Amino acid sequence: MSNSWDREAAAHLARRAGFGATPAELDRYLQMGLDATVDFFVNYDSIDNTAMEAALFGLTLAIPPSRATYDLTNITGLQKWFLHRMVYTARPLEEKITFFFNNHFTSGIGKVGDSILIYNQNKTVRPLAMGRFDDLVLAITKDPAMLIWLDNATNVKGRPNENYARELMELFTLGVDNYTQKDVTEVARALTGWTLTRADANSPYTFVFNAAQHDSGQKTILGQTGNWDATDAIRIILDFTNAEGSVSGRFLGRKLWSFFAYHDPPEWVVADLANVWVSSNRSIRAMVGSIFRNPEFYEAHARKVLVRSPVEYIVASLRQLEAQTDMSTPANNLIPMGHYLFNPPDALGFPGDMTWINTGAIFARASFANAVISNRGKAGTYIDTTALLKGKKTDTPADVVNALADRFGLADAAPATRAIWEKYVDAKADGSRGFWNNSASAIDQKVRGLMHLMLTTSDYHLC
Amino acid sequence: MPMNRREFLFRGVGVASVSMMIPRFAVAGARFFEESVGTGASGRTLVVLELAGGNDGLNTVVPYTDPLYSGTFRKTIGVPAGAVLDLDGTLGLNPALSSVKALWDTGRVAVIEGVSYPNPNLSHFTSRDIWHTADPKLAQHNGWLGRYADLNLAGNDNPLSGCAVSQSLPRTLLADKVVFPSFTSLASYGYTTDGSYPQDAPNQTNAFVSQNSLPHEIPTRNELIEGVARDASTSAATLKQVAGSYVAKATYPNNSLAAALKLCAQMVVGNLGTQIFYVTYGGFDNHSAEKTAHDTLLKAVGDSIKAFYDDLAAQGASHNVVLMTWSEFGRRVQENGSAGTDHGTAGVHFVVGDAVAKGVYGPPPDLAHLDSNGNLKWQTDFRSYYGTLLRSWFRADADAVLGPGYPNLGFINSKFV
Repeated sequence: MSNSWDREAAAHLARRAGFGATPAELDRYLQMGLDATVDFFVNYDSIDNTAMEAALFGLTLAIPPSRATYDLTNITGLQKWFLHRMVYTARPLEEKITFFFNNHFTSGIGKVGDSILIYNQNKTVRPLAMGRFDDLVLAITKDPAMLIWLDNATNVKGRPNENYARELMELFTLGVDNYTQKDVTEVARALTGWTLTRADANSPYTFVFNAAQHDSGQKTILGQTGNWDATDAIRIILDFTNAEGSVSGRFLGRKLWSFFAYHDPPEWVVADLANVWVSSNRSIRAMVGSIFRNPEFYEAHARKVLVRSPVEYIVASLRQLEAQTDMSTPANNLIPMGHYLFNPPDALGFPGDMTWINTGAIFARASFANAVISNRGKAGTYIDTTALLKGKKTDTPADVVNALADRFGLADAAPATRAIWEKYVDAKADGSRGFWNNSASAIDQKVRGLMHLMLTTSDYHLC
Repeated sequence: MPMNRREFLFRGVGVASVSMMIPRFAVAGARFFEESVGTGASGRTLVVLELAGGNDGLNTVVPYTDPLYSGTFRKTIGVPAGAVLDLDGTLGLNPALSSVKALWDTGRVAVIEGVSYPNPNLSHFTSRDIWHTADPKLAQHNGWLGRYADLNLAGNDNPLSGCAVSQSLPRTLLADKVVFPSFTSLASYGYTTDGSYPQDAPNQTNAFVSQNSLPHEIPTRNELIEGVARDASTSAATLKQVAGSYVAKATYPNNSLAAALKLCAQMVVGNLGTQIFYVTYGGFDNHSAEKTAHDTLLKAVGDSIKAFYDDLAAQGASHNVVLMTWSEFGRRVQENGSAGTDHGTAGVHFVVGDAVAKGVYGPPPDLAHLDSNGNLKWQTDFRSYYGTLLRSWFRADADAVLGPGYPNLGFINSKFV
């Protein structure tokens, strides 16, 4: 089953390259076939996304929500803006890879202070996110939010600040233990004078090179000696190879594979990805594309083994519920789930994986799901159960379970799980059977309740 | 390449045991209250306070009598000698820690100096993992208190034998046989259901528990998540019992640490038999403009700890509780050009409680003999710090958790050992 292009395989790709597909999208991917579907996700630049972009700036009422403008001067507004992009984009991978780099090259509002700078960082990353990695690293090194977040703005000749230099190598490009403390201090020297300026206190910061604060002496970085500046340092770091090959290629390959496929990839996968990295001149698109084209990606042990972050959980559920939302409920539920978007605990970003799962987070996810499915109004975040069941048979509890399981990617649920769901649909207030009669009120109660259960099943926390 | 499925699924994850497929709540609730209160480590409780980011030890417990401190290394951000709160004629507390000084004056504080491990790692994340696992080689996956729990708490049926008052579960508490709950408030801790059909709530809740209680033929990540969901249900039921019964008997400051410690106090007073509490307070990675930020953090830490202690003392529960602090490293001795400090090595930590033998443990920082990176040479292995708490406070086999060779530091009062 692993490598045939079927509904399960298409749903798997859509969960990873995007945030999960609706039944209609799955129908389309099945028709397109694997290669065309991978192309659709990976080569997204040609996909028309103007409706979503326009809605963000209040220029059109064509797509929901009708009042889709967000106050980007506060962090909640910025969270809504990014969530909106993820929920309504026609280019799922564009947002997914931007979301990846938002956590890779992370910066937190708590220290940066100005949400416009965080917004600008996000806008800087998006068009570079599938390009040459060198360009992205250079742009992020000059990014005002990053210059504040990791202190390079105050890194000056004679008394260097090591914060950015260390994380540039440890977290962004090479991985820990692939450099020495001496390399950290030398890279910090190369980065001196890369700082910020602004016209006045009301203008946002922009990058400037302050030659007076730059240390122009000789530095030795990863064994190479010269009068290096920051651009040289980035090139030396990204060119760095050891006995295993390209260190940055292996590091990014491992991290991207862990994000898109599964954790702890075997050596042959890492080596293959590093080869793609080198031969493509460090193209992120080439590396990501090779992940989705690798048969290993479709193996059974790659499926439903990644824990959805709260953002991914929220976006997947809203997309698969085809919900209308002003993003208030989604944004307000991020912190209780442990995902303070744009305010990570530290430079590592959110560590992810099983760290998302703890007892409080389980309840917080359930609370979000309940808020969405139980809103019967036409404001905030709400769903249309009639539309979701259109064309679906709902005569019996088993019909109801079937109708919804496919929507949430749960068609492969175990018989025992299905039995629990059917029992719930048919349960009267005292727990005895015989409730289900397919009436509008039964649907209003039990279809919504079943959605809540499905969204809080262990499978839905995975992707 | 085929992978071992079990290895693949569980690597990097705390493994829930197969026995947990049986919902514990079925037996835990009532029986626990009849039989288990006060068992375990004689009703003793440890509160672990992580100061995340690498706390600057030299500006926390200040070597103010060393001329190198103010004259060479901390010209800009140093605490003036006239301002420190003297401890022993050599070291003094940052004045932001006046609350800690008050606890010191009544004999409730031990100061542990120069704590680190061989070849200190300057990466936040590596060093943090080393502290969480108590293993500089990082061969251990579970946390040091997780290993303690596996050996001493597994099977006691208490869903709240330990917990993190936090939005995440720290690696220190990762265990094989115990799932520690985490939460930040009691009010929102439960499975919410559709308010339009309250009569359907038991059906929804039962189905939620049922769908998380099915056996798995092969280990999957679902099994881990379902184990956490079951423990969520069980611990929520237990926590409800302390929801209305507690009134704080001290005034807590307005910060997230104080809120977390207040919740710990509520659970201690509620006598839930919780042995381990874990709380985190962040922001200590002060690479720039350190002084204001760090003083604010220290004041929040000191005032919160004192309120917590005072509350417990007024409730008659302080003799059962010891609080310890840790942080992944101290900071560079020489301040940088940003009026901050870069990553360092040895740090200073506090132990607070009635059971503490007041004093400064370990020699003061030696600013004249630094390592090749300009960092302090460490004096005390952090495993001796942990081991003292395991051995003297929990009366546990510390060697089984940490390995042999980490002698007691003696900061637990002999009357309690």
